[in-house]
Amino acid sequence: MAHWLTVLLAGILVLSTPPGTDAQPPTVDGVAIDPDAELVVALADDTNNMDPRIGMGSIRSNYIRQVFESLVDVDREGKPVPGLALTWKPVNDLTWEFTLRRGVTFHDGEPFNADTVLFNLDRFFRRNLDRWGIKDVAAGTSFEKVYPFVTRWEKVDDFTVRIHTSEPAANLWDFIGREPLVPRAWTVKNGVEALNERPVGTGPWKLVEWKRKNHMSFERNERYWGTPGLVKRLRFVVIPEAAARIAALRAGQVGLIEAVPPLDAGVLSREPTLRVTSAIQKLACRLYLNGRTKDAYESGGRDGFYADARVRLALNLAVNREAIVQKIFHGLAIINASPVATVAYGYAAQEAYPYDPARARALLAQAAGQDGPLTLQLLFPTKHYGQAFDETVPAVVEMLKDVGVQVTIKSLDFGTLLQTLTKGTLPPNGGFAACRTSNNLDADDFVRDWATTTLINWTPYPPELMTLYQNTRRSVDPKKRLALLADLQRRVRDWAPVVSLYQEAKAYAHSTRVLRFSPTQELNMDFRGVALKK
Amino acid sequence: MARFLARRLTHAVFVVWGVVTVVFFILRLTGDPAAFLVDQTATREEIAHARHLLGLDRPLHVQYLDFILAVPRGDFGISIQQRRPALPIVLEHLWPATAELALAAIVLATVLAIPLGVVAATHRGGGLDHLSRVGSLFLQSMPSFWLGLMLILLFAVALGGLLPAFGSGSLRHLILPALTLAAAPLAQNVRLIRSGLLEVLQQDYVRTARAKGVAERGVVYRHALRNAAGPFLTVTGLSLGFMLSGTLVIETVFSWPGLGRLMVQAVPGRDFPVIQAAVVVFAVVFVLVNLLVDVVHGLVDPRARIA
Amino acid sequence: MITVGRQGVVLVGTLVIVASVVLAALAPALAPVDPIRNDLLARLAPPMWMEGGSARHPLGTDTLGRDVVSRLLYGARVSLLVGFAAVLVAGVVGVALGLVAGYYGGRLDDLLMRVGDVQLAFPVLVLAIAVLSVLGASLGNVIIVLGLTGWVTYARITRAETLSLRHRDFVEGARALGARDAAILWRHILPNVLPPITVVATFSVARTIIAEASLSFLGLGIPPPAPSWGAMLDEGRNYLTTGWWLALFPGLAILALVLGINLVGDWLRDALDPRVERGM
Repeated sequence: MAHWLTVLLAGILVLSTPPGTDAQPPTVDGVAIDPDAELVVALADDTNNMDPRIGMGSIRSNYIRQVFESLVDVDREGKPVPGLALTWKPVNDLTWEFTLRRGVTFHDGEPFNADTVLFNLDRFFRRNLDRWGIKDVAAGTSFEKVYPFVTRWEKVDDFTVRIHTSEPAANLWDFIGREPLVPRAWTVKNGVEALNERPVGTGPWKLVEWKRKNHMSFERNERYWGTPGLVKRLRFVVIPEAAARIAALRAGQVGLIEAVPPLDAGVLSREPTLRVTSAIQKLACRLYLNGRTKDAYESGGRDGFYADARVRLALNLAVNREAIVQKIFHGLAIINASPVATVAYGYAAQEAYPYDPARARALLAQAAGQDGPLTLQLLFPTKHYGQAFDETVPAVVEMLKDVGVQVTIKSLDFGTLLQTLTKGTLPPNGGFAACRTSNNLDADDFVRDWATTTLINWTPYPPELMTLYQNTRRSVDPKKRLALLADLQRRVRDWAPVVSLYQEAKAYAHSTRVLRFSPTQELNMDFRGVALKK
Repeated sequence: MARFLARRLTHAVFVVWGVVTVVFFILRLTGDPAAFLVDQTATREEIAHARHLLGLDRPLHVQYLDFILAVPRGDFGISIQQRRPALPIVLEHLWPATAELALAAIVLATVLAIPLGVVAATHRGGGLDHLSRVGSLFLQSMPSFWLGLMLILLFAVALGGLLPAFGSGSLRHLILPALTLAAAPLAQNVRLIRSGLLEVLQQDYVRTARAKGVAERGVVYRHALRNAAGPFLTVTGLSLGFMLSGTLVIETVFSWPGLGRLMVQAVPGRDFPVIQAAVVVFAVVFVLVNLLVDVVHGLVDPRARIA
Repeated sequence: MITVGRQGVVLVGTLVIVASVVLAALAPALAPVDPIRNDLLARLAPPMWMEGGSARHPLGTDTLGRDVVSRLLYGARVSLLVGFAAVLVAGVVGVALGLVAGYYGGRLDDLLMRVGDVQLAFPVLVLAIAVLSVLGASLGNVIIVLGLTGWVTYARITRAETLSLRHRDFVEGARALGARDAAILWRHILPNVLPPITVVATFSVARTIIAEASLSFLGLGIPPPAPSWGAMLDEGRNYLTTGWWLALFPGLAILALVLGINLVGDWLRDALDPRVERGM
């Protein structure tokens, strides 16, 4: 009944606007904005690929997630919210059901529905590739190896999909749900290379132009299902040098920059025409130590020196994390003794490792059994994780030396480190510095590190922790699972597989013309709802 | 002349082939790009699978044969990082970006050097000559990236964005990087022109021309410059090689989207096809320019053809 | 004829070099603190004449609290060592190969010159990363890489000189008297080769010191925590506005030393062999 009245009133309002006058300019928070503006954002690097299957590291996520979306979306606090799926729930211990959002189309008009999801699942698990006629790609994550318990998937109707597993999989909603989805008919027709060149997704931004290593231009997706961007065009420009990014921002050549170094963040925040924001990331940086047994790597017959948990705990007590956070990061990092990032689902806060060099020395003396003082050959990948990381590692090495560990630093480039880890040629007294981030929301992505033989797993779970870990994977009841995860984290903290250093916060700076930008805890920036002042 | 040309051409082909082969084997013996394609949490099987998809698990001589037979077709394989054919990527970065930069730098380094060198030679022993010598040595004594960084600090930051700090696309963007790249070669060229001129100015036929009363200016420009051109050309050819490696650093400092920056990123990432294609392109350009220099030199100075 | 002004300039250059060598040699005695030891709490202290600086660290500290003066002094050692050692390697290899190529000629000569051409067309970076990633980045390996990329010029000059000297009277005479090839090369040809080589070598040292800095800038240089001017410059480039002293002083140090070397080389060129000016 009320409908016709609304229409009538609306009609009167519309008709009473005198012709020729512009409508009121759109505003955000009372400030007039320019809906046809272009926001220029400076990033530190370009993406190598747009096909999400090929890889989703922190740089690539920024580009890929503007165009592609996943079943599960994330809000600004890092909590999972409906994305392309409206609900997800386990219907029984071995089956998950996703109900999909209706009325969503890809940028080329292809409808999003259950068939899309089934096609993507085939791609993830490398099934039926011949049937679809698409090529295999060397993938960042091989689902069939990492999640072998996922057996089959089917559609219940056009907007409902069920996924079956051979054992309970509590975090399936996360590792399936956060993976960006590509269109079925378009990919089959154009091939996976085209997907990489001219990606077509459901996201709030359409890719318009991509000049490699230079810039990528997006245009607002006018048919987007969710909160749209309030600028018409978005351009990501690549400026590798931090100083150049800051200079560009100051000169007004870009509107927003990412990866502001901590010291500069402080300086920029004092400028009235700029605003600096930051958010905790899931990037956890650590020293990994060789605790493998002699048959698990190219050892020349010797076990890794760091198999003894007491030694690793001692090293953890030797690090003055407060000094690192204050002096190097100027507060843009946090201390976290849990293996799980603080913003992940299932995180349980753990007692921080105290800074206690005396106790560290005592523990080392206790555990001493080898010939002579403890030595450590630390492989240090420089110029890969950023300036602050490159400054932290030598400082930490000094702290370890202070408690009597004879550390030799070996700087190398990241590729060489990967090769050493791949070949398993880390020396018995070896270790390496590296950071771990996550594209997923669930704690599982962090605690699975020590469960399988991977590149970075040099301290595999002992049997009791392994069992506990597997139970966390299998408990479908959320409350029970959270309790198990908390227990696991506590034990991992005491078992100290790695020397945890810090968890990073990322700083962004933008001009005051940019409105409603807030950084996410994910690897990508979110420009939905961001506007530019007129 | 034709024989000379033919000989130099065969030589050029040999050099390019040599470079390509050496790079091919060095890359495969020292690097494995497969590890880059997968997560840090990958297992050895996944990496082996990735290596298989790249065709890197075949025996070396098979890979080499495949590669060397494809090169004349212009097929350098698919870039591992960018998933598209390698040669177009390299050419995209070469033209217009690096070519623009290198040409601008060469023009600056040559055009500015001539008057400066002439002034230095004609005012030999005086204050200007002295100044030009110390100044030119000064310019050759600093790392190019330091000069670039100082220029950025000055023009882009201190002077409030007078010139852009990054990127390409307009003449304004070209100024700072081209100046930085041209600085050392310019300094060297000034010295070369000066010394070449001085040597020639003392020779008999110049004295004769002077005695005949031909105007001083005419003496200098017409006779002397032409003969001093020889060594200058040779050095320019050689210095092109140094300039090409100079672009590696300059393009990084100024975020210039050229071949140098591509190389700097492709090499640590072990992107074999791109590195191979880039090295070949570098080598071809280098060899062609030197060939051109030799030919011009041979045309100008018949004595040089006997080499 | 060398004017007084010229002489003064060369004197300055020589003084700079000598001072660098002396300072480098005495670094352990002169340096206020251990250049490697880092002290997080004293991070990024400005030079002593600025607010926040202290006499303990006259030119300030770097991002890890290491004293800049100490690192400059020890860095001088590294720069001088790399400069001279790499040139020595390149020189010895190049001269030896050039002598052989020029004296014996024929197929050997052809082969060596072709290899040299290939080397010249070869981008230094690829060679650098290949060697450094196989052998690991270290002081010794950086010297090897920089040396390996430089031998061609020496070989060419030596070869040219040897070619022109090969048939000269005194050489023919020595051969007629039964002198062995090696003796001829060593006693008669080499001394004539040395003057132009010395000039080139001097300029090479300057260029090598700059090359080392560039390698560090690209992340391929002598790895931390060893103090090298190039590494200091590389660190400082992220702090141009907030920690300008980190990049300025090593930059000035490189400039001064290299300029000094270039001044001396320039004078040497005029004094030893004016012919070398042509085409080099």
